[in-house]
Amino acid sequence: MRTVGGARRGLGLWLLQRASALYLVLFLPVFLLLLWRAMPLDYAAWRALFTPLAMKLATLLAFAALLLHAWIGLREIFIDYLRVLPLRLTAYFLFGALYLACLAWAADILWSVG
Amino acid sequence: MRLRIYRFDPESGAPPRMQDYEIDFDARGRKVLDALIALKEVDETLAFRRSCREGVCGSDGVNVNGVNGLACITALEGLREPIEVRPLPRLPVVRDLIVDMDQFYRHYRAIKPYLINLDPEPENERLQSPADRAELDGLYECILCACCTTSCPSFWWNPQRFLGPAALLQSYRFIADTRDQATDERLDYVEDPYRLFRCHGIMNCVEVCPKGLNPTAAIGKIKSLLVKRAL
Repeated sequence: MRTVGGARRGLGLWLLQRASALYLVLFLPVFLLLLWRAMPLDYAAWRALFTPLAMKLATLLAFAALLLHAWIGLREIFIDYLRVLPLRLTAYFLFGALYLACLAWAADILWSVG
Repeated sequence: MRLRIYRFDPESGAPPRMQDYEIDFDARGRKVLDALIALKEVDETLAFRRSCREGVCGSDGVNVNGVNGLACITALEGLREPIEVRPLPRLPVVRDLIVDMDQFYRHYRAIKPYLINLDPEPENERLQSPADRAELDGLYECILCACCTTSCPSFWWNPQRFLGPAALLQSYRFIADTRDQATDERLDYVEDPYRLFRCHGIMNCVEVCPKGLNPTAAIGKIKSLLVKRAL
């Protein structure tokens, strides 16, 4: 049987994984700093932290980066261990759907803050 | 000295086994290969490859106490006894410590390990500046012993499709060579979820390389070039 493989594939996802990691590295210290400045962190302070649109967007982007990073990592594991193609595609799809739902949920929670 | 050697003879029909030996041998200043040669005096059915016995030819790559290396430059002193010697992992065993390197060489052949330059040949040689030549340091020294590739889990899972650290290091050796004109084709060939991107940078290859080379760094440079080309 012919083995197909080849040119010009794989770089995009690899780069996206790097980019998402970079965003998280930049976001997390800033987020922790903001948390620290908002001390004591009662319910009102916690809500106030997420009230500005910029904070909502930055946090949503962080969730997107995290989920994308995780999905690409899972894809690598599936490539190594799920050798049956229909099974692998199902796993891609299921986790993709799950993570998209998580992202939508994160957006819903963030924008529920007035 | 106690040794435990992997034994397998496909013609006997018996499954592989570990055989224990006890020999009178002074380990001081000696290498694993010396012990194997002494062992062959005792048991002439033991089969292993060796040639230069000084870490240059790369033919006696074996797994000693779980770590890949060249038998001829792995010191006996400090090794826990019984010293377990096995063939390199994940390659078919021809007999005892001798493995079938076919898959390894196939990957090496696939990256076209030669200069591709379509310009008419100059009178004497294709010259390089000292700086360009220095780019090849840490790449050309590879002796193709397969210690790195057979210590890589990505190669264990996908031996037919992942090129492995040795072939990727060699690929970069020709990508980095200013005299080579096929950089784009070479990059095209490696840009693949299996051939290149099975590497997750765990650096097993760096840990075992008997020549002290760094395939992970070479793979990183290939990836940087791919990014540079794409953007």
